[in-house]
Amino acid sequence: MEQKIFTKSPIKFLIPFFAFFSFTFLFYTNLFAIPSAPVEEMPSIQDAEITNPPAEQIGHEMMTPTEPETSENENEFIEEEEEVLHIADPLYPWNKAMYHFNDRFYFWVLKPAAQGYSAVVPEDIRLGVSNFFYNLTTPIRFVSSLLQLKMKVAGNELIRFAYNSTVGVLGFADAAKAHLDISRHDEDLGQTIGSYGIGHGFYIVWPFIGPSSLRDTAGKIGDVFLNPVYYVNPTEAAVGIAAYDEVNETSFHIGDYEDFKRSAIDPYISMRDAYLQYRKKKVDE
Amino acid sequence: MKRILLGIHLFVFMVFPLTLFAGPPLITVEGHVNEVLNILRDPAFKGDASKKTGEEKVRDISDRMFDFTELSKRTLGANWKNFNRNQQEEFIQLYRDILQDAYMDKIMSYTDEKVVFQKEVMLSENIAEVQSYIITKRAETPIYYRVILKGNEWRVYDVIIEGVSLIKNYRTQFREILSNKSPEDLLGILREKAGKA
Repeated sequence: MEQKIFTKSPIKFLIPFFAFFSFTFLFYTNLFAIPSAPVEEMPSIQDAEITNPPAEQIGHEMMTPTEPETSENENEFIEEEEEVLHIADPLYPWNKAMYHFNDRFYFWVLKPAAQGYSAVVPEDIRLGVSNFFYNLTTPIRFVSSLLQLKMKVAGNELIRFAYNSTVGVLGFADAAKAHLDISRHDEDLGQTIGSYGIGHGFYIVWPFIGPSSLRDTAGKIGDVFLNPVYYVNPTEAAVGIAAYDEVNETSFHIGDYEDFKRSAIDPYISMRDAYLQYRKKKVDE
Repeated sequence: MKRILLGIHLFVFMVFPLTLFAGPPLITVEGHVNEVLNILRDPAFKGDASKKTGEEKVRDISDRMFDFTELSKRTLGANWKNFNRNQQEEFIQLYRDILQDAYMDKIMSYTDEKVVFQKEVMLSENIAEVQSYIITKRAETPIYYRVILKGNEWRVYDVIIEGVSLIKNYRTQFREILSNKSPEDLLGILREKAGKA
């Protein structure tokens, strides 16, 4: 049914306009209001009216004060209510279509590839490959840490890179963790922009990449330039390497996406919210 | 010396009267998690036939570990009041079943991951956060339990995995549904999801 919305309606053609308006919206609401906390959704009167059950469903017990626990906890509810993250989703039709695209891509391409791959390649080697690619993307984390003036994190990244590239044999082993007890610390440019107090703008789902936002997309583009794989020639080889990295990573997560879908009532909304919460934690760290 | 000890005792009892009464939140949560881990490690529950028994035991533990009423209230937030008593009761049951079904496979597929309980943080006098990590060869996944003191016991009302709060995630979904549907409609969706339509 959600698919129909995209394929049938002329909304497709409105996407550029949506994009344009969103950029203007972002420009006025976000860039001018630094630091801007994530927009918080307050339960509006309108919402309450809509969600009110039909009159005959309101039992008399709702009217009588027989629920002391509820009223006791009300303040806490409202406190937590405010914490709920909200993001504009003006590209909803596109996002929903891309969500379905990624869903199919996972089940039809990525998962079978990762399953076949992990059947052939032992876990320890896959782990080494994962470490190798992680070590390779040190510039992203180093530069991001510097731009956030996280000097200790930046220093640790340098130590990790030097140690893992040598003792850890080109990064295949995470020797810095094992010997020096310096753990991974994820940083990227999207988080960096976020740390300056700039909000997400709006939600956007990219094919193959998945959930993102205007802010994190900008960060991601920067990240690509800091990723050595980008400079591999020819481009086909770079894409091949990136795809291999993706399959290797997925081999550790087979089943996670299925579990996520099973637990969700509305997977699209659930993923959007999880993305927001996850990124917020990363920015706050 | 005795007087100092007595002083310390008095001080501790004055500051942490509730916690001492119920035992520390971390011990409570860790105890429940270890109970589950013991079942998962027990070869007696490995076979296909006996796996069901194992699942039942895990369900029983989760009923004691979680406060599904609190969890439901906090998930629905302001919308809780729009449900009448019967609807609230049904919501708690369905939500519990859905959560247990959704996470059962994940829990039962446990192999040899290490679970480490690191610390507890008191967020208020009757709410605490118990911080644990699941350690695999590849990564350390932080799993934080939010617990509330109910009567004599610390009971879990939220699980935060890698910064993603379970109840907040569901709250966003339910709010979206309730923005144009009635509580009865939502219960219908949940019934279908739980396989009780």
